[in-house]
Amino acid sequence: MDRQLEQVLHNVQKPARYTGGEYNAVVKDRETVDFRFAFCFPDTYEIGMSNLGLRILYGVLNKMEGVWCERVFAPWGDMEDELRRTGLPLYGLESGDPIRDFDVVGFSLGYEMAYTGVLDMLDLAGLPVRAADRDEHHPLVIAGGSCAYNPEPLAAFVDVFSIGEGEEALPELVECCRKGKAEGWSRKELLRRLAQIPGMYVPSLYTVTYREDGTLASFTPEEGAPAVITKRIVGNMDQAYFPVDTIIPSTEIVHDRVMLELFRGCIRGCRFCQAGYVYRPVRSRSKELLARQGKDACRSSGYQEMTLSSLSTSDYPPLVELCDDLLDYCVPNHVSLSLPSLRADNFSMSLMQRLQTGRKSGLTFAPEAGTQRLRDAINKDVTEEDLLTSCRTAFTGGWSSVKLYFMLGLPTETDEDVLGIADLARKVYFTWRECAPDPKRGVRITVSTSCFVPKSHTPFQWEAQNTMEEYQRKVNLLRDALKRDKSITYNWHDPETSYLEAVLARGDRRLADVIEAAWRDGAKLDAWSEYFSFERWMKAFRRCGLDPSFYVHRVREKDELLPWDMITAGVRREFLWREREQCYRALITPNCRRQCTGCGANRLNGGVCDG
Amino acid sequence: MVDHRLLFEKAGRARFISHLDLMRTFQRAFFRAGIPIKHTEGFHPHAFISIALPLSLGYSSQCEILEFGLQAPLAGEEVVRRLNGALPEGVRVLDCYEGGRPIKQLAFLDYRVDLDYPEQSAAEQARQALEELLGRESLVVRKKTKKAKCGYTEVDVIPRIRSWSLEREGARLTLNTVLAAQNPGLNPELIVEALRAERPELAPELSWCHRREALDEAGQPFR
Repeated sequence: MDRQLEQVLHNVQKPARYTGGEYNAVVKDRETVDFRFAFCFPDTYEIGMSNLGLRILYGVLNKMEGVWCERVFAPWGDMEDELRRTGLPLYGLESGDPIRDFDVVGFSLGYEMAYTGVLDMLDLAGLPVRAADRDEHHPLVIAGGSCAYNPEPLAAFVDVFSIGEGEEALPELVECCRKGKAEGWSRKELLRRLAQIPGMYVPSLYTVTYREDGTLASFTPEEGAPAVITKRIVGNMDQAYFPVDTIIPSTEIVHDRVMLELFRGCIRGCRFCQAGYVYRPVRSRSKELLARQGKDACRSSGYQEMTLSSLSTSDYPPLVELCDDLLDYCVPNHVSLSLPSLRADNFSMSLMQRLQTGRKSGLTFAPEAGTQRLRDAINKDVTEEDLLTSCRTAFTGGWSSVKLYFMLGLPTETDEDVLGIADLARKVYFTWRECAPDPKRGVRITVSTSCFVPKSHTPFQWEAQNTMEEYQRKVNLLRDALKRDKSITYNWHDPETSYLEAVLARGDRRLADVIEAAWRDGAKLDAWSEYFSFERWMKAFRRCGLDPSFYVHRVREKDELLPWDMITAGVRREFLWREREQCYRALITPNCRRQCTGCGANRLNGGVCDG
Repeated sequence: MVDHRLLFEKAGRARFISHLDLMRTFQRAFFRAGIPIKHTEGFHPHAFISIALPLSLGYSSQCEILEFGLQAPLAGEEVVRRLNGALPEGVRVLDCYEGGRPIKQLAFLDYRVDLDYPEQSAAEQARQALEELLGRESLVVRKKTKKAKCGYTEVDVIPRIRSWSLEREGARLTLNTVLAAQNPGLNPELIVEALRAERPELAPELSWCHRREALDEAGQPFR
């Protein structure tokens, strides 16, 4: 280990985040590799190491002969100060080598508030933050992940965006870069060639013009770049790589357990949910393979906790059989099995009860809206009866803590819908009073509201967000309505973060100046309240002469050219618009298993969809 | 329930694994190695292990002791072999044996403390200064603490030092010292702290602490 780094590590909190050397971390011989890949996660080690995507792509890249993929996370403030004070450049955790000498620096983008982290990490690496200031002597900077579905706010900083699932696309990108390295291509030549790989978006090969009102006028590809970039998917989940032998951190992380991925995509089609649209079509893993992977992963990792991951676990058809199979292994081996993302229905509750051994932790439900009308409008296919029946089962079974998640500011929301949240919470309370076996123990009902953020590639991509004042008014309304209910706790998200998230989620290329200005003024780790400053961002907007409300509070026209229209997740734009109209009629669209509604995503998989 | 012990070393990058994290790392390593160890009783049984005298973050050691219980008999060499295939870089099991003396008989710890200076002359001055300080009847150091209101307590390090010697090689000064292990023990960093406090101009650029051996009251290796 570098002497200076060692000294630095004595001065920072939780130094194990910065050392590497964990069990199963891949260490290759520098002499036998010809391609170095820095997988960067613009948030802390604890968050990044909890990301299944990182573990999958790390495994996929390191399986490639001659390729060494290493991990890099955003340092916490104390470590960043030390790095800047000593001049140590950002390094790969496996080798300790500076990433500015790597071939590719790739970022995983899961959250808009991590954008300044991308700039900060590039800068700590000693690289120019803007793509235009880099050339073939610098690593190629790429990015992917769910935020890449609207890549435009980061277009000035990133050379190539990889859209969709990376298992197949990244190796293709690496091979192309390798060829370019061997043949001495210029950066421009490399970018031109990369743009020909399906799923790759090279922002510098597109020219954007604007109308006087600030909306987009045109979006023109150059040098043979495709007019539309279609996201990549893995066709068959049973053949897709799963990280059985994965890194076991030597320090505690957020999701410190085996994560089994049941399926990708979701049959539900909640209209606000970006993941529900961009991960289509539904593709499941077979239960036999999952059971084997789960057991092998426990043996290989030493984890004694396993969780099943997907967008909606109870929609996995052979869930009961899978759980039975896993429990045969888990129980004798002291491995606990947990099922997140369950729906509030009878089936899920009976399953929960079977799995629950020992302590009854809290239960969490996400009705999202307070009235049936609004739940129908957002296509959240859960009824009050479903929820109360689930609660009744839970309370009868001895649970005494329930969390209820809602969103404020959903399209078509009225005050009646906001107050409906209080009514629903009270009904949950009365349900407890009716059926609690031990009422003296009391009950804890927690209502949490977040502010709706309209996202690209959803039926609400044209919607306006509520103003921050309107959010605050609704929060106050609900807070007052719940004031006298001693058993109900109300928590709410602050609207400032959601406002900024909404700007970045549906912004265009002009936001680059704002992001850079905010970062130069000290913005980093914006997802952490310790570092986030709303005022700093507003100052950056003023300095750049851009009005953030333009991106947030304006209802966009049906035929408006949207900044992300060159990117398709396979779901047709007309389908999204139709879903939006269904919302205004408060009409449910049946889930994909009841009836295929022809969203178009199955075309990506030769017409196959497990929905 | 804890009838077995491991002797292990912690070096390199693993020095920055904290005590609690190291316990978790070992629990998982036993599971990975396919060595069933005894669990606690009760509602939430978990693999039970205990590490004697936690090592400060950043220190290296070649004499750490971990107590555990085997669910089924397994030869000590086999435990060592399997565990070493399941531990992260820098943690290496040296021995596994049954029984062992009560931990309360672990009386002293033998440390090597390396102090690095920008140049030879500074290291030499520090050697002389430390010789003078450690030769005193009493040497009181402020030790940071969360409990005391003022944020520190005062510790006299001299009664807790059993022996010491200093040697200098170039710009590096090495303190070899045997310190009380417990009730109360002494962290070698406090001796460096005394030097910093008394002679700020002789504060080392870097310091490394390494545990060499655990000793009993008679100064014999403790196992």
